[in-house]
Amino acid sequence: MRLRSLTAVTAVIALMVAACDDGNGGVDLGDAGEDDPAIEDGTDDVDDEAEPAAEGGTLRAAIGGDPDQLDAHTTTSSFAFTVLENVYDTLVQPGEDLTMEPALAESWETSEDLLTWTFTLREGVTFHDGSELDAGDVVASFERIAEEGDNAFRLEAVEEFNAPDELTVELVLNRPAPNLLEQIGPFKGMAIAPAEAIEAGTMQDDPIGTGPFEFVSFSPGDSVTLERFDDYWGGDVALDGIEFQVVPDEGTKLTSLQTGEVDWIDSVPPEQVEELGADDQIELDQVAGNDYWYIALNQDREPFDDPAVRRAIAFALDIDVITEAARFDAATPNETAIPETSFWYHDYEPYGHDPDQARQLLEDAGVTDLTVDLMVTNEFPETVTFAQVMEAQLGEVGIDVQIRTEDFTTWLADQGDGEFDAFGLSWLGNIDPDDYYYAQHHSEGSFNFHGFADPETDELLDSARVETDEDDRKELYDQAAERIVDLASYIYLYNPDIVQAWSPDVQGYTTRPDQATRFVDTSLAS
Amino acid sequence: MNDDRPEDEARPDEAPGDGVGGLERPTGEHRPRWRETLGIVLANKLAAFGLVVLVVLILTAIFADLVAPYAINAQDLTRRFEPPSLQHLFGTDEFGRDLFSRVVFGSRVSLQVGAVAVSISLALGTFIGLISGYRRGWLDTVLMRTMDVLFSFPVVLLAIALVAVLGPSLRNTMLAVGIVFTPIFARVVRGSALSVSQDLHVRAARSLGASDLRIVFRHVLPNVAAPVIVQTSLSLAFAILIEAALSFVGVGVQPPEPAWGLMLSDAQRYRTQGWWLSVFPGLAIFLTVMAFNLVGDGLRDALDPQQRSVIESRGAGGDA
Repeated sequence: MRLRSLTAVTAVIALMVAACDDGNGGVDLGDAGEDDPAIEDGTDDVDDEAEPAAEGGTLRAAIGGDPDQLDAHTTTSSFAFTVLENVYDTLVQPGEDLTMEPALAESWETSEDLLTWTFTLREGVTFHDGSELDAGDVVASFERIAEEGDNAFRLEAVEEFNAPDELTVELVLNRPAPNLLEQIGPFKGMAIAPAEAIEAGTMQDDPIGTGPFEFVSFSPGDSVTLERFDDYWGGDVALDGIEFQVVPDEGTKLTSLQTGEVDWIDSVPPEQVEELGADDQIELDQVAGNDYWYIALNQDREPFDDPAVRRAIAFALDIDVITEAARFDAATPNETAIPETSFWYHDYEPYGHDPDQARQLLEDAGVTDLTVDLMVTNEFPETVTFAQVMEAQLGEVGIDVQIRTEDFTTWLADQGDGEFDAFGLSWLGNIDPDDYYYAQHHSEGSFNFHGFADPETDELLDSARVETDEDDRKELYDQAAERIVDLASYIYLYNPDIVQAWSPDVQGYTTRPDQATRFVDTSLAS
Repeated sequence: MNDDRPEDEARPDEAPGDGVGGLERPTGEHRPRWRETLGIVLANKLAAFGLVVLVVLILTAIFADLVAPYAINAQDLTRRFEPPSLQHLFGTDEFGRDLFSRVVFGSRVSLQVGAVAVSISLALGTFIGLISGYRRGWLDTVLMRTMDVLFSFPVVLLAIALVAVLGPSLRNTMLAVGIVFTPIFARVVRGSALSVSQDLHVRAARSLGASDLRIVFRHVLPNVAAPVIVQTSLSLAFAILIEAALSFVGVGVQPPEPAWGLMLSDAQRYRTQGWWLSVFPGLAIFLTVMAFNLVGDGLRDALDPQQRSVIESRGAGGDA
C-alpha cells in the first residue's frame, strides 16, 4: 500500500508540470538548512497570518483529479492533500524555506540522549467541532498513523507516545532521529485529528481539523467545499470559503482559468507556460521544486546487475536534452536527487554526456546487442516523452530501447513484480535526505523495486539516519549520494519546477516548493 | 444482435438472379467476373477516386525511404514546433522531428496493421464461418454463439481489453484487431455458406461422393468470395481506425514508431503549439479510411448489394 502513496504523491508532480519562458522565473528558496531545525528549541514565531478579513468571497480552485477520500491519515491521493492542507494542521510545519516551524506545537525540546522529544502544544486551539485540542488528540492521531495507512514509516523511530499533561506530548524514540520534525511536519498525512473522531471512525466522511477552513461537503468526481473557520488559531482568514472543482483535463483546466470560471489552478503543463506567461490576465508562479525524476534499471536482471552497464547507460544519456524535451525550461537537470536549492544539495556530476565512454564500458563488460524494456505510463506524459529521447540517445551507443506504455495500475503492478528492465518516474514531497535515499536505495528499503543492494550504501544510510550533528550528517549523505550515483542505482534526470496559475484577483498566495497549497493568507480582490 | 439469423437463412432466396450466385456459380469462371467487377468499380467515380488514393498510399508506404526527406527519429530540439515550410513540409513535432517523414512512414504502420489484422480475421473468420455454415448442427451453434459473445462487445473496447491482456505493441495491436473482426467475417461467410451449400452444384458434388473438405474448398469457398471481398476492404478501413484509436490512447503502437494515432495523441497534448501536429496525421487517417471505404462501397455495389445492411450496422457499432 505504501507503493500507492508514493505514486499518488508522485501524481502531484506529473500534474504540476511547469515551464518558464525566460528560464529565470524560479523563486529563490533561501538556504533551506541554514539553521538547525532538528535540535534547537522551537519558538513561537508564527507570523501574523492573514490580513483582516475584508472582501471575503469564495475561491474557486481547479484541481486535476478527484480526492479518493478525505481521511488524511489513510488517503493516498495528492488531490486530497491539496484540499486537506487547508483543513488540518500538524505539530510543526515547513516554513517558506522548508525548515520546520511551530504549528500546533508551540515549542519542543529534546533530551540529552536525543531519545525523548517533548512538544508543548499551543493553548486555546479549537477543532472545527468546537472541542479543544489537547495532548490526547495528538497521541491518538499518531497512534493511528503508526498503525494504519501509509505513513507508519514516518513514526518508525518512535516507541512511545505519551501525554503527561493536557498540553504536553512526549515521544520516546528507540534510536536518535535527527529528522523527526521532517517526518511529522511536512504534509497533512500526519494531521492531528480529534481523538473522538478517530475513535468514532468518522474521519473519512467528516474531516475535522484545526485548520483555517472547515469541511462542508464533498461530491466525488465533482467538487469539495470548505468554509472559513472563525476560531482558527492562526488569526483571521480573508476568504469566506474555497470550492475545489475537479477538472481532470489539463486543457479544460487552463481554459476555465482563462475564461474566469475558476480563480486558481493546481498545475500548468510545462509546454503551456510560455503561452500563459504572456497572458496578462493570468498570474503564473514558478518555483524550483523539491521533486526529482529518474530512471531505475532492474538489478535483478542481467546485464543490469553489472554497475558498469548501468554506468554506460548513464554516460550515454544527455540529461540536458532530456530535461529540455520533457520539461521545456521548467526544470533543472541534476545528476543527483536533491535540488540545488536545498541545504542537502551535493554538487556531483560524474557523468555528463559521453557516448564514447558508454561504448567502452559496454565493450569491457562484454555486452552487445543490449535491449532495454523501458516501462513508462501515460498517467505522466513526460515519462513517455523522455523515453523517446532516451531511445534515440541510447540508440547511438547501440542499445535498443523498447518503450512500453502502460496505464498506471498495470505499471504499478509490473513495478511491484519486477516486470521491467527499466522504468522512469518521480519522487515528490521530499525534504529530508532520508526521504530522498533510504526507502529507494537501502537494500531493505520499501521502495527499492529495482533490487539495488550495496552494503556500503546501507551502512552510510543507516548511520546518516541517526547522526545528530548536521554537518556530519550532510557529509554522510554526500558520500551516500556519490555512491548511489556512481553505482547508478537510479539515474537521476532533473528537478522539475512547480508551476501554478491564478487570476490577478487572487492575492496572498504563493506557489511553494513542497507543493503545499495553503490558502490561509489568500484573499480575493473583487 | 442475435436475432438476425432469419436474415441469414433468407439469403438463399436473394442469391439467385443477382448474377453472382445461383446456378451460374460453377467454379473456375472468376476471371472474367474480376474484370467485370473492376469495370463496375471504376465506373463509380468515388470508388475510382478511392482506388487512386489507395494506390498512392501503397506506393508511398513501399517507397517511404525514397519519399521521406528525413530520418523519422532524428531529433533536434532546437527545431521543435516549426511550422510547415519548404524544409519541413508538414512542420516539426515536439522533438524537432520532420512530421512529413513521419506521416509518410506512418502509412507503413497503418497499412501493415490493416493488412495483417484483416488477414487474421479473414482467415479465422472464413474458417469458422465455413465450418458453421456447411456443417451446421451443434458445432454451428457453439461457434456462432462464441462469435456472438465477441460480437456483443464494442469493437474498440474489446480491442483495448485484448491489448491490455497481451501487452501493448505493434504485433499485439494487429492480433487484437484481428480477433475483434473475426466474428464479422465468420458471420458473413456462414451466411453465404449456408445458402451456397444448398445450391444445386454443391448438392450435385455431394451426391457424386466428394469429400466435405473438397466441397468446402472447391465449391463453397469460391462462392462466398464476393461478400468476403467487400467485407475485407471495409474492415481494412476500420482496422486502421481502431489501430489509430488504440495508439491514441497509448495501448497500441509504441513510441517512437511513427503511427498516426500516436501523432494525434501528441498533437492533443501540444495543441497550442501548432495546428500542423494534428492536421496532417488526421488528414492521413481520414484519407486512408475514406479510400478503403469508397473502394469497399464500390466493390459492394459491384459484387453484392445485399451485404449493405450487415456492414452498415457493424460500421455504426465500430464507431461507438
